[in-house]
Amino acid sequence: MTAESILKESGARGGLGDRINPIVVKELRQAVQSRFVIATLLTLLSVQIVAIGIYVLASGASLFRFDAGRQSFLMLFAILQSIGMIFTPLYTGARLAAERSDTNVDLLFITTIKPRSIIAGKMFAAMTLTALIYSACMPFMTFTYFLRGIDLPSIFISLGVGFVVVIACVQVAVFVALIPVNRALKVIFGLVALIVFGVAYFVTMFGVNDLIGRGFVARFSWQLAVSLGAITVFLIGLFFVMSVALIMPVSSNRALPVRLFITAAWLLTGVAALTGSLIEEDYRLLIVWLVTFEIIFALALFASVSERDRPGRRVLRSIPRSLLGRARTFFFFSGAANGLAWASLMIALTLAAAVACVGPFLVYRNADDLIDGAKWMGGMCLYFFCYSMTGALLRRHMFTRVGTELTWLIGAMLLIVGSLAPFLTGYIMVFKDQWWSEDLGAWWVGNPFAWGNKGHRVLYTSVGGVWAVLVAAMSLPWFIERLRSFRPTSRVTASDDIESVPRAMASESPSATD
Amino acid sequence: MKVEIVNLKKHFGVTRAVDDVSFAFSSGQIVGFVGPNGAGKTTTMRILATLDEPTAGDALIDGVSAVEEPERARQLVGYVPDSLPTHRDMSVHEYLDFFARAYGLKGVRREKVVEGVEEFTGLTEIHNKMLVALSKGMKQRVSLARALLHDPQVLIMDEPAAGLDPRARIELRELLRALSSQGKAILISSHILTELSEICHAAVIIERGNVLMAGEIADLLTDGARRRTVLIRALEGRETLYRELLETPRILKVNFAGEEVVAEIDGDDQACCDLLATLVRRGHRVVEFKQQRANLEEIFMNVTKGATQ
Repeated sequence: MTAESILKESGARGGLGDRINPIVVKELRQAVQSRFVIATLLTLLSVQIVAIGIYVLASGASLFRFDAGRQSFLMLFAILQSIGMIFTPLYTGARLAAERSDTNVDLLFITTIKPRSIIAGKMFAAMTLTALIYSACMPFMTFTYFLRGIDLPSIFISLGVGFVVVIACVQVAVFVALIPVNRALKVIFGLVALIVFGVAYFVTMFGVNDLIGRGFVARFSWQLAVSLGAITVFLIGLFFVMSVALIMPVSSNRALPVRLFITAAWLLTGVAALTGSLIEEDYRLLIVWLVTFEIIFALALFASVSERDRPGRRVLRSIPRSLLGRARTFFFFSGAANGLAWASLMIALTLAAAVACVGPFLVYRNADDLIDGAKWMGGMCLYFFCYSMTGALLRRHMFTRVGTELTWLIGAMLLIVGSLAPFLTGYIMVFKDQWWSEDLGAWWVGNPFAWGNKGHRVLYTSVGGVWAVLVAAMSLPWFIERLRSFRPTSRVTASDDIESVPRAMASESPSATD
Repeated sequence: MKVEIVNLKKHFGVTRAVDDVSFAFSSGQIVGFVGPNGAGKTTTMRILATLDEPTAGDALIDGVSAVEEPERARQLVGYVPDSLPTHRDMSVHEYLDFFARAYGLKGVRREKVVEGVEEFTGLTEIHNKMLVALSKGMKQRVSLARALLHDPQVLIMDEPAAGLDPRARIELRELLRALSSQGKAILISSHILTELSEICHAAVIIERGNVLMAGEIADLLTDGARRRTVLIRALEGRETLYRELLETPRILKVNFAGEEVVAEIDGDDQACCDLLATLVRRGHRVVEFKQQRANLEEIFMNVTKGATQ
């Protein structure tokens, strides 16, 4: 019986257990057998019991104050959140990194399971584990209601916020675990992620404290909660698609889901930011949108030049045959030229959208800041374009032995040198003792982050503009060649002169190779 | 079922890991894939298993391209990598059940398939054991069992015998023979060449990404050997025979082996015939003239230079 017939026969009989993602089943099976998970859960419960016990015993008469419940809830929430934000991401990330380091992930690729399902399964398992931890702590949390000073909706909403933050941290941990670098670099990235988690922890604690203190009916609280919620959901989504891209085989169309997601998010959040700005008559939301996406697209320039120079055959075979289809897919498919075109287009569109919003009939609060922000971000992106393209040029012509995937590193080193070298040169050669009283702005030329200095923007723009034109002109033949070669490939067929391994004498079935 | 590797190339920058490799094999054949470390065996196997993409060329499994249609090709291929399963907190049965789910097997059918594969590979007794507690041989069986779950027509095995004790090797050999008799096409790489020559119907020798030699084992052993070793026993005059052999052209080495004289000839079967005729013509009373067949190891040493990419 073949696998195909097995699949056909079994399709109708599948129960609920069969519909669950296999990765979830595997992860949860492993989790319930893991001593680490059991020990962490028991430790958390013990700490919660001891903490609430000590609090009640030590409070004495102050227990009858009206904020005893709120105080004890915050204490228990801090314990729960610290365990949740360290344990679950660490557990999920470490396991995935270990699996990634050998061929376990490869083995999954030759099953019918999709990379998206692998990441979704990991995330769902982590969510289940987090839900288990949170539900185990729920009795202690709800107990604080009886100490007064906090209501049940506040307790549940806070736990919901904490849960979402833990999931966001797990998603970041999954992404870090999948970055294809050696163990030492992975540990460094892991430590950076831990610092980010630490910041997220304090922001969460501050936010929950603020929400409980103000009450959830306050308009400001809701605005903040919705904004932060949207950002968190966007980040989870972004890291999810990036994780899927990282786990996809190199030969596949890895960039497609990431670019589609970012473009969709750009469009949706842009419309939402514009709507919010119109309602509030204030451009603040648009400024946040502009800055966020320009930073993302500037980083995307570096990521793009590190993509495969020529798309693989699996990518090429999925290119539409029609000219319109090719033009449409060119921006979204994997490939260095494709990525550069997409990121550059999105940068231009974002700037154009921001400037277009400040029309003669739409002059709201912070309009000047929006225009200034557009100039700042435009300048930053211009320099990012120059550094990434120069890095790509150097790799193609000078560092030919360096892999394409390391082009970002060349660009990043150029960025560091270009940002600091002019200033250091000026400091050593030109500046006098009283350097802090002099205008140093001009010497920051080459630094993409110095565009806040309005006095020298003409210089920065001139240098960046000339540089961009030069580097674009030098890369034009390469780009045109890639553009022309972006078409579906013909299939390889077996030739008659293949050096064949003849059949064994003992075997009876005929062979075409004889 | 026919597996064709067509002008396969895989370049990593300036390194040509696989450089225009072509060969084919079909159902029921066990084909040994032999070469020094870094010869391009694993790369070729990974391309065939749809895990890597070639720079040029293709791998066709029953006409299905591993490059163009990897999803279809995966249904036909079972891949056993050179590393063993390392999942923690997981029993053998759970591991196989997980992969059966990943292959889309459902319900009672999945249970039957897993049980069947466990029985075939001799894992039934230990299916509740944790993976980490298994010996190398047992892990290798688990790896093979995993590759068989979707009943693939082609099995690709990368160094399956590495690190196994003699008993585990014999058991693996038996399993491969059983699979071959079921009509599966098996491509197996190994450094244990004596073992390969025992179980393989054919072999492909590869070095620096190029196929040096391919064919049936029997043909390789006769045609492939550049030298022949013959045992000669004469009724009398052993020392004279020894001296004359040393002076005979194309004789590379002469030794005594008990009553016999062992001579290594730089040539093929014709050179052996010529030597026998010469000895008889010179009046030696040859009682026994036996050609020692070369083994795969000697062929391998003859055709390869031990070079890597």
